[in-house]
Amino acid sequence: MKRVIPVLVLSVAGLIPVWRYEPSIGTTTTTTTTTEAVSTPTPTATSSSPSSSSSGSSSTPSTSSKKVVQGTAINTDKGTVQVQVTFEGDKISAVSMLQQPNHPQTTAAVPVLIEETLKAQSSKIDTVSGATITSDAYVQSLQAAIDAKGA
Amino acid sequence: MGFPVSLRVDDEGIGEETADALFAWLREVDARFSPFRPDSEVCRYDRGELQLRDLSADLTEVLDLCEQYRVATGGAFDVRLPGRPLDPCAVVKGWSVQRAAELLTAAGARRFILNAGGDVVVAGGPWRVGIRHPEHADQLCTVLELTDGAVATSARYERGDHIVDGRTGTPATGLLSISVVAASLTEADATATAAFAMGPEGVDWAAARPGCEVFAVDAERRVRRTQGFPVATAVAA
Repeated sequence: MKRVIPVLVLSVAGLIPVWRYEPSIGTTTTTTTTTEAVSTPTPTATSSSPSSSSSGSSSTPSTSSKKVVQGTAINTDKGTVQVQVTFEGDKISAVSMLQQPNHPQTTAAVPVLIEETLKAQSSKIDTVSGATITSDAYVQSLQAAIDAKGA
Repeated sequence: MGFPVSLRVDDEGIGEETADALFAWLREVDARFSPFRPDSEVCRYDRGELQLRDLSADLTEVLDLCEQYRVATGGAFDVRLPGRPLDPCAVVKGWSVQRAAELLTAAGARRFILNAGGDVVVAGGPWRVGIRHPEHADQLCTVLELTDGAVATSARYERGDHIVDGRTGTPATGLLSISVVAASLTEADATATAAFAMGPEGVDWAAARPGCEVFAVDAERRVRRTQGFPVATAVAA
């Protein structure tokens, strides 16, 4: 019986990170794509330059300086990613996605289906896929002809 | 079950013993998993002579796959239909033929075609795989080019209305045929059968499955296929 106790303690201890765990999925999905974009100033139009040549050490850099930087658009195999970061002083005050891929993990992929008309054709082939063929049907099938040719 | 199996291996040094081992495996699968053999593991489990914990790892794997597809299709694909014996054939076939292909690979085969009753696994292509026309047995409705991978087709033309929509208990009739290309036949065959059971909405369902490409013909003879379905370019006659 004594052995049971440490096991129980361990399993309870193991549960704590699970309780504390908050999936980060919510945050990624809520970043809605903003195609509005680009209205923001370019990074070069940046912080107010300390023009006043006077007061030396005491002057702190102006806290009102807001700087918006757009990252370069990066093509990944999941799609294009581009972020926009807003700095206030030295601190990042906001990050938003200018472009993000339509990855199945964030949005359900909607398959694009092509519609065609049904055609009948014969062609040079190596094998045939068809619905579960029975031995009787096989005798007259295209696959039987291919097998006979190869044998 | 009983279906013809065609095997073509182009590698040097792959002998008859490899083919013998492959066919022995498929016979073993039939003996163990056939719902038509009263002494099979499937039948004994279905009659309650075996408990879940007594089952082989293989059958446990197969039944897990069946359950995954049942859940994924909202019950349209179901190997336990009311009033019928447990019938996991739809998964067993693709799973066992995929295993057979892996026997070939393990034996050193790099270029082969394994066709089991119309379900196909290929390696070392490109190979040209025809899809049987749903209405004309001697014609094709498309040709695809496959280098490594699998394609399976579900249809009504040969065995009639044998696939049942588990949600309604009635035969699925919304599609004439559906072919699914995937990396493994386990995935291709189960997805094709499950999509067929779902009917027209199964085309979209299968198309959304990762790694699956779809070519379907509905009851109105319209073709719907995914963009990525590897249609072969025409060969000069």
